[in-house]
Amino acid sequence: MRQEWGRLVALLLSQFRRLDLVEDALGDAVEVASRTWPVDGTPDNPAGWLMTAAKRRVLDRLRTEGVAQRKLPLLLTDAERQQEGARTMADGGSLVEDDVLRLVLMCAHPALALEAAAALSLRLVLGVPTADVARLFLVPEPTMAARITRAKKRIVGAGIPFAVPDAAVLPERLDVVAQVSYLAFTAGYAPGTGPDLLRADLSGEAIRLVRVVLGLRPDEPALVALLALVLLQHSRRDARVRDGRLVLLADQDRGRWHHDEVAEAMRLLRSPVLAGPVTPLTASYALQARIAAEHATAPTAEDTRWDRVVGLYDLLLQVSPSPSARLARAVAVAEDRGPAAGLAALEGLEIPSNHRPAAVRAELLARSGDTDAARASYDQAIAACGNDVEREFLLARRADL
Amino acid sequence: MKYLVLLVGDGAEKAWPDQSESEQAAAMARFGEFAAACAARDGVELLAGEALTEPGDATVMRTSSSGEVLLTDGPYAEVIEGMGGFYLLEAPDLDVVVELLRILPRYDIQIHPTVDVAL
Repeated sequence: MRQEWGRLVALLLSQFRRLDLVEDALGDAVEVASRTWPVDGTPDNPAGWLMTAAKRRVLDRLRTEGVAQRKLPLLLTDAERQQEGARTMADGGSLVEDDVLRLVLMCAHPALALEAAAALSLRLVLGVPTADVARLFLVPEPTMAARITRAKKRIVGAGIPFAVPDAAVLPERLDVVAQVSYLAFTAGYAPGTGPDLLRADLSGEAIRLVRVVLGLRPDEPALVALLALVLLQHSRRDARVRDGRLVLLADQDRGRWHHDEVAEAMRLLRSPVLAGPVTPLTASYALQARIAAEHATAPTAEDTRWDRVVGLYDLLLQVSPSPSARLARAVAVAEDRGPAAGLAALEGLEIPSNHRPAAVRAELLARSGDTDAARASYDQAIAACGNDVEREFLLARRADL
Repeated sequence: MKYLVLLVGDGAEKAWPDQSESEQAAAMARFGEFAAACAARDGVELLAGEALTEPGDATVMRTSSSGEVLLTDGPYAEVIEGMGGFYLLEAPDLDVVVELLRILPRYDIQIHPTVDVAL
């Protein structure tokens, strides 16, 4: 059922062009189905049943609306771009997949804030309930509901179309789709605050979003690289927390990693579309995925080829320099060449309101035997840490000194 | 849909008076190219477009709740301090507007849909 959600939203949008109505109408239809199907049996064509029920809801609403509402601006579709007659071509039902692509490109539009676009994509394309989207982004449900409503208003108000753009700009628009999906993934993977270290189920929804778009554009390099990256990160979810505590990569039970997902990611990384020239965004995803793959394919932590990991971080810092990549490189350097080299690589690195540089410095100082300096760095990291599970971890490390 | 396109800042371009004659000519060519692309595009119509004099020539008119009119010199807000021109453009949607505006010099641009008001 959830697989059909985006397609049904897209069909309802192209027919009625009322972004404010279709989601509620489809939600109502699903709600009725959840009550009646278990009693009356599932219809032969469940998607068709839902479409009919949702259409009826929209038509009911349109009938009761006042004149003022009837004048509201409608969602713009490519029909406006073309002369009459062009639209009939798309009415055969054969371009359904394009409708889902239109929906994705509308939700993940560069004129929307990334976070609003991510929330809207999960809601409209995948049908993730608003409460879950709110949990993913760590905001109260009414706040998220308001944010989604505002994003929908902005789409209609600013004239963001329900359309596939010109081929010349499609790749950069799909880059935005990738960024939006990755934001939704990381929101669940490393939330930074609150009691859950990891909300794997919601990160899984972001992966589903990538799969939907990749299903429509199978050779899009940014999406191939991104899917490899998120699969590799996601494959470790069951090993990252034990008894409510964070487990470091080196200490994780590798038997609990999802090796089928690792295998799929490795296949994706061998894809010929990643062999040619790619955009900086794609290169960055692919390099991060190759780094994750070094870990995923090492039989034990001791077998990790840290020299190769350092080399990949060097490339990543050329393509897209960032403080977090520098930090990760410093960790790899420490593993490869010892804590002193790691500390040298950390020199001058600060990330505002982030506890990780101090936590890494503390760990490396402890390893090089400088206990007093390590304790001071742990104190700094603990003070800056907003995640309950990670703070527990840092407190335990400090006590072990 | 009608869009007011405000060229609000120099963006990646040098300020107009600092440009050499050939740079100014290249920018003018881009404006010409933009107008031609709009004319050639189905569903797009350039309704108006003018260059503006320097920002210091602008006047802001405010009317208080009691009806008193207050005029101040200079532009209204930071965002339009460097406004160099505008277009009023009929276009199918935001994507088409952005696609066409890529032809212009790399200014900072604000794109604002208009409301149909019957007078």
